[in-house]
Amino acid sequence: MSDYSSDENEITEYLLYRNRKEWKDVTPVKQDDGEEPVVSIDYSEAYEDCYDYFRAVLKNKEISERALELTRSASRFNPANYTVWQYRREILKGLDKDLHEELDVIQEIILKQSKNYQVWHHRKVLIEWLKDPSKEKYLTEKVLAKDAKNYHAWQHRQWVIKTFNLYEGELEYIDTLLSDDIRNNSAWNQRYFVINNTTGFTEEVLSREIDYTLFNIKAVTENESAWNYLRGLLLHDKGGLSKNEKVTEFCEELYKSGNRSPFLLAVLVDMCYEQVNEAGGDSVYTLERAKQLCNDLATKYDTIRAKYWQYMLDTIEKKSKEGNGAESTSH
Amino acid sequence: MEVKHTLEFTPNLHKKYLLMVLNGKLPNLSSMDTNRSVFMYFALAGLDLLNELDSIPEKRKQSIIEWIYSLQVVNEEELVSGFQGSTVLNTEENKGQNSPYKWAHIANTYSCLLSLIILGDDLSRVDRRAILNTLRSLQLSNGSFKGAKDGVEDDMRFVFCAASICYILDDWSGMDVERMVSFILNSISYDGGIGQGPELESHSGSTFCAVACLALSKNLHRLTKAQFHALRRWLLLRFGCGFSGRPNKPVDTCYSFWTGGALKILDAYQFIHDNKLNHLYVLMTQDKYGGFSKWVNTISDPMHTYFGLAGMSLMNFGGLNKMFCELNVTRRAHEHLKRVQETWK
Repeated sequence: MSDYSSDENEITEYLLYRNRKEWKDVTPVKQDDGEEPVVSIDYSEAYEDCYDYFRAVLKNKEISERALELTRSASRFNPANYTVWQYRREILKGLDKDLHEELDVIQEIILKQSKNYQVWHHRKVLIEWLKDPSKEKYLTEKVLAKDAKNYHAWQHRQWVIKTFNLYEGELEYIDTLLSDDIRNNSAWNQRYFVINNTTGFTEEVLSREIDYTLFNIKAVTENESAWNYLRGLLLHDKGGLSKNEKVTEFCEELYKSGNRSPFLLAVLVDMCYEQVNEAGGDSVYTLERAKQLCNDLATKYDTIRAKYWQYMLDTIEKKSKEGNGAESTSH
Repeated sequence: MEVKHTLEFTPNLHKKYLLMVLNGKLPNLSSMDTNRSVFMYFALAGLDLLNELDSIPEKRKQSIIEWIYSLQVVNEEELVSGFQGSTVLNTEENKGQNSPYKWAHIANTYSCLLSLIILGDDLSRVDRRAILNTLRSLQLSNGSFKGAKDGVEDDMRFVFCAASICYILDDWSGMDVERMVSFILNSISYDGGIGQGPELESHSGSTFCAVACLALSKNLHRLTKAQFHALRRWLLLRFGCGFSGRPNKPVDTCYSFWTGGALKILDAYQFIHDNKLNHLYVLMTQDKYGGFSKWVNTISDPMHTYFGLAGMSLMNFGGLNKMFCELNVTRRAHEHLKRVQETWK
């Protein structure tokens, strides 16, 4: 909701609709804002003029070239007006217009208004009509080149990939984004999306992805996105969070090397939570360990969440007393 | 009033700013022309947090209520009932009548209903039946909601609006609750947070919406123990020198409510509660002419002003009124709603 700017200022040599020959036969219709309006807007003369004619054609749902042109102006003044876009689509259909031309129009607007819901929706409907997704990856890549975490672009990209089965090359694209910024959470999310919808997390894929993730965690150990992805991978490991040897060895070594990333410590705490009442084993994930870790988090490495780590310790302690299999289902 | 430095909380300036949004003529906001009712809600809800609703004269309150009702559409035939976002399509000729594209939007219905409640209206002129009938038609087969009859996207924001409308009207026949719950559960990400829809990146805004939907419909227990734990952890990690909305993204004023509110609902706000850092970031985004902005040294806007105040209310800072987070409104207004609902029984 942060886009307040329209491209109103860019309209040069603009002729008011009431001064245009082709609109002579139409009587403009004023907005009725009531006697004492709320959150009033100080419309510019051109804005008001355009919408006076917009209200006039809407009344009869006029389907014409001039109405199409009018919706372009109205959308320039307010690209967030979904009625304008909806009406414009009906005119495009009614006049049987070349929708590829419309793709160019909307592409230009999206590149300027890339956080506007309505323009992305217009694009989506056009692609649904055309059943032609060939330009969508390029468009979203252009937007993501400016803002690699633009939620609208990712949402559109996922929709296109899923609808038209365009997964090929996506992992490579993600690699380039992650090599630009290893902390790009949107790219990590996309990685999960691609694998989940293609190969799935088979044993082989899981092993490959774990290698990839551990390699990246080693490079930047305070990267929440990579740690989260690792947790996501282990949702598919039969042993849970704490029984994948590659992962546990990596974590233990990282810890021994003196690393105290709060994300590392948090994973170790959760491993303790998982194993705390597996009595009799040679598990290193014990209540004693949890105590040490939670105390360190609370007093040294993640002090702003001190109370939470105390709570986690209490939870683990409680679980250890309940013994095996007594896990309650309540929160 | 002289402001010595931006870290001094200036409620009086925020009051003036919000009254200006409500009553003044706003320049440069024309691209929000279609969402004036949302801005009205931000202004009224903000004044409510400041305990300054009385700075609106009684007569003006009445005229605001009249303006809101002028946005109501009752159109059972096309199933487009509810409230419009503004008067863009309203003319002398179609006053009180249905006309092409005079459609309600779910976010505006939500904003208008809450605004009426904040102003103390009894909702007696709201056509509850028509709104619920339309609402039902906006739910998609996967449980999500689109914002309006046609031409509008669907996502978790609108699911939240739909759940809130059912809660306000005290009637869940406006949706298939089971479908809504399954949409929410399907939108939980591998990292524990919740996205705008299935497989989308976790985001504090959509996470708040999802959590509030579960709470309003009394379905929080549908989260498994593991989901509940992971969700709280994900939200708690959004707190640093302020609140952010996604991992590795900068802090932003509005997330002090989106993230904070979700933590409150999940009974986890206490884990960060009395940290002295909490309100610092929000205060740094205070504008010296009133209002709050997204980031330090940017221009204030009504949305961030409201969410800045709401976020600080959660921090028990500045003597602000307390929130009923699930609906994104003060407890005071929520109590009024409960009294109104009593009269429907």
